[in-house]
Amino acid sequence: MKVRALARALLAAAVLSVSCGRAAPLKLGRDLLPLEGSPLVCFRILVRVGSAHDPSGKEGLARLTWSLLAEGGSRSMSVRDIAEKLYPLAADLSLSVDKELSAFSGTVHRDNLERYYAVVKDMLLDPGFREDDFARVKADQLAFLEKTLVGDMDEQLGKEILNLMLYDGHPYGHHEAGTLESVAGLTLDDAKAFYREYFVQGNIVLGLAGGYPREFPDRIAADFARLPQTFTPRLVLPPARAARGLEFAIADKPTPATAISLGFPIALTRADKDFFALWIAQAHFGEHRQSLSLLTQKIREERGRNTGDYAYIEHFVQGRDKFPAPNHGRQQQYFSIWIRPLANADRHFVLRQALRELKKLVEDGLSEERFQLARSYLLRSTKLTAQTLDERLGWQMDAHYYGTDDILAAAEAVLPKLTRADVNKAIRKYLNFANAFVAVVTQDAEAFKSDLAADSPSPIKYANPNMPREVLDEDTAIQAYPLAVTADKVRTAPAAEFFRKAGLPWEQGRTDR
Amino acid sequence: MTGIIARTLVLCLCLGLGLAAPRGGAAGAAGTTTAAPQGGAAGAGGTTTAAPQGGIFPFAVKVETLENGLKVVSLPLSNPNIISYYTIVRSGSRNEIEPGKSGFAHFFEHMMSKGTKQVPRAAYGDFLARLGAGTNSATTDDFTCYSVVFAGRDSLENVVRTEADRFINLAPSEDMLRTEAAVIESEYYAGASDPARRLIETLRDTAFERHPYKHTTLGSLKDIQELPNQYEYSLLYKKRFFAPDNTILLVAGDFDPAQLAAFVRKYYGAWKISNYDLQTPVEPPQEKARRARIAGPAGAPARIAVGFHGPAFSDTAADKAALDLLAELSFASASPLYQKLVNKDRTCRSLTADFPDTRDPSLFVISAVVNNEGDLPTVEAEILKELERVKAEPAPAARLADVKSRRKYALARALETTDGAAATLAFYLNLTGDPGTVNRIFNLRDRVSPRDIQDAARKYFKPSNSATVTLTGEAAKGETP
Repeated sequence: MKVRALARALLAAAVLSVSCGRAAPLKLGRDLLPLEGSPLVCFRILVRVGSAHDPSGKEGLARLTWSLLAEGGSRSMSVRDIAEKLYPLAADLSLSVDKELSAFSGTVHRDNLERYYAVVKDMLLDPGFREDDFARVKADQLAFLEKTLVGDMDEQLGKEILNLMLYDGHPYGHHEAGTLESVAGLTLDDAKAFYREYFVQGNIVLGLAGGYPREFPDRIAADFARLPQTFTPRLVLPPARAARGLEFAIADKPTPATAISLGFPIALTRADKDFFALWIAQAHFGEHRQSLSLLTQKIREERGRNTGDYAYIEHFVQGRDKFPAPNHGRQQQYFSIWIRPLANADRHFVLRQALRELKKLVEDGLSEERFQLARSYLLRSTKLTAQTLDERLGWQMDAHYYGTDDILAAAEAVLPKLTRADVNKAIRKYLNFANAFVAVVTQDAEAFKSDLAADSPSPIKYANPNMPREVLDEDTAIQAYPLAVTADKVRTAPAAEFFRKAGLPWEQGRTDR
Repeated sequence: MTGIIARTLVLCLCLGLGLAAPRGGAAGAAGTTTAAPQGGAAGAGGTTTAAPQGGIFPFAVKVETLENGLKVVSLPLSNPNIISYYTIVRSGSRNEIEPGKSGFAHFFEHMMSKGTKQVPRAAYGDFLARLGAGTNSATTDDFTCYSVVFAGRDSLENVVRTEADRFINLAPSEDMLRTEAAVIESEYYAGASDPARRLIETLRDTAFERHPYKHTTLGSLKDIQELPNQYEYSLLYKKRFFAPDNTILLVAGDFDPAQLAAFVRKYYGAWKISNYDLQTPVEPPQEKARRARIAGPAGAPARIAVGFHGPAFSDTAADKAALDLLAELSFASASPLYQKLVNKDRTCRSLTADFPDTRDPSLFVISAVVNNEGDLPTVEAEILKELERVKAEPAPAARLADVKSRRKYALARALETTDGAAATLAFYLNLTGDPGTVNRIFNLRDRVSPRDIQDAARKYFKPSNSATVTLTGEAAKGETP
């Protein structure tokens, strides 16, 4: 009980110490989570700027600029000096860049706090902007787009193509790394200008957690006071376009396996009261990397088609273990299904199966049994979600970004009050099965296009000659499930064409984009 | 929220105590750990408490061995309500000694979720869902590990009962096996576009002749395609390796060790001993340098991997520990060579050295992703030059101290959560069966001298002991390997 009382006191201290960035947007925001006994100190320096702030034609600039801070030298230290100073501390400065938020983060032992902060302060506040660092970071970003994303990571490629489709012509509509064309044109002066405009006090929230000295946040604030006292207003975003029927983008490359991601925008974020109801639906239908996922049960467990199939009600980036990484908040979210790679021969069947399950979800909702199961799961699994100091800080900062209570704590209060009817109502309100964008990475794209347009039956073969009767019966329905696709809604292009220029390959060069 | 604060607070306080060791240098006081019993103490039936005071792994560990040989390691932590339950089966790729059976350990790991007569597959899934558990399983060269992480000490008996049933009474049908075999095939295809996997597959195949480390844990596609026909072998495999004398149970977190011991005796007591004597083929000494060249997909960056046969893991002999430190000194991000090739000249996109801790002698591998294919010979020459330099010049004391410091602080970070502590300990338990190994290996590394590193480099980094694989883009396909 003493521990609980102490924890409550600490929580109160943490809440009091938050100074809201919106109330004083011209100064550095703070989000503090002090824990006096902790031997660790976590930094999360959140910048309310991401790839959606990239100037037109300079896509990838936010990521390149922030990468130059995290991976380049400062004015007084070369990148080698920095590596040598941070190496013995087993601490570094990580970077995540999303559409509207970017975060520099690191965790250091309290023993090494001064040594660590001295380096990080220089990296962020006095960057070197050296030509050689710029050339290296830019080359890495180009290599990521050209070689890694298109060459080595078919699943990620599918997800990124889905994002291109979801937000075509929208500020979210390009990859954080930009395009080969746009990044090739970026200059060191572009990065300097971007830093000057956006790395300003009002855009930054200092997140600190753990056993730092009491006066430490003030010291950091004093250091950051050298940055301009300006801020960038939150982006006013146009609505994302809804799909009209099923719209396909198929990336063609030689591969034995097909990766599929599909989805559509949803008008819901963590700030909405329906979030928890839809969260239960997500746990039931596609809990990330858990066998609870209905899609995984149907596609993997019953039929052995791939290693797993999942669904998400917001943009998902995996952090520690299988939990979402913090600081990827967005004003607009999307629903998606991730079908892990499967044999090319199974692609049509499994796509039909996933969409048919989605239709059943929307039309029938959850059974009482599955509702109870998914809710029980969430009520207990949320207790495992934020275990490290860094995660707790990240979740706290996300709550403040969305203007909500701590979502994990709120879950304990809200979930028990929800009914199956609440969940099914939310499903009907936000989800649909008829209008979605489908991104596919596969071989012989034209052949798949023909299959889709013809809506031809797609039987599958099993190595097991004794498949259960009910599975085979369901297969009969799945293989003939009509997708109602027309050829004009299926576009194909070589995989390498997707991140060359802004927009989808068939729209590149369009002047009205 | 209060619950979460309390949980981390208490764990962090524990950590604070633990980290007094590296700060004060007490970690260097080797041998202060009370040794837990060595592996293979089947039938001993005794209980020993290991109290690793003064070590970098600061937590007290209790070990009990049941009559049937099942070793049970308790790691009580004060992080409220969270428990990590690990079943470590000491069977991995190294157990795949028969032809045509590569990848079987990994396949069997998949089969372990298929249920029993009492708790069929679907019921097992529902059990985990109600528990809100995070589950994971993984296969390595030497072991497979199954973890159930959950919040709720009141669920401990349920978890012990269900997991015991799963490991003792697993009874998948042949039909289930055939269906799961297809999952493995899709997993193989899913990584088909990953050039790093192809590089390491080829390197192992080139470097090893007889030892099962010749293949990766995923196995060959040919063997994977035979899995649907391996039902009989799967029964044999389970009988041999999924037995108490080949398994270690590790429970970490918020529970009463006496209660755990009672549950374990109750539910695992009837598990039948295997007594299977695995004879892993010994790799004959390599006599001359080996080379292979493979073609990657069009446009893929070039890659190189240089491997040297090295020693097995040891928490007593200095060779392995010395090479671990060498890997960091010569090839980590703070090393002069990394700075030159990756940051200054931008010849490479990455440069790493990896020398896994394994039960049998394994490969020390230096690998690089090279920006221009034409630079492959330069990069290879630079790597070999660095190894020659290490033989000739003792490592500067300050840099060696930096490497040791980094390893300790990195471990301290890993121990921040209950599951981090469990995963760390599970890994070392797999290697020796002895929880005292964690502190022994860190103490041993602390004692490694520049001379030890030179000696190890001279012993292992010989051309005749090496295997080199390069991967180039499709354009080079026509060239003779």
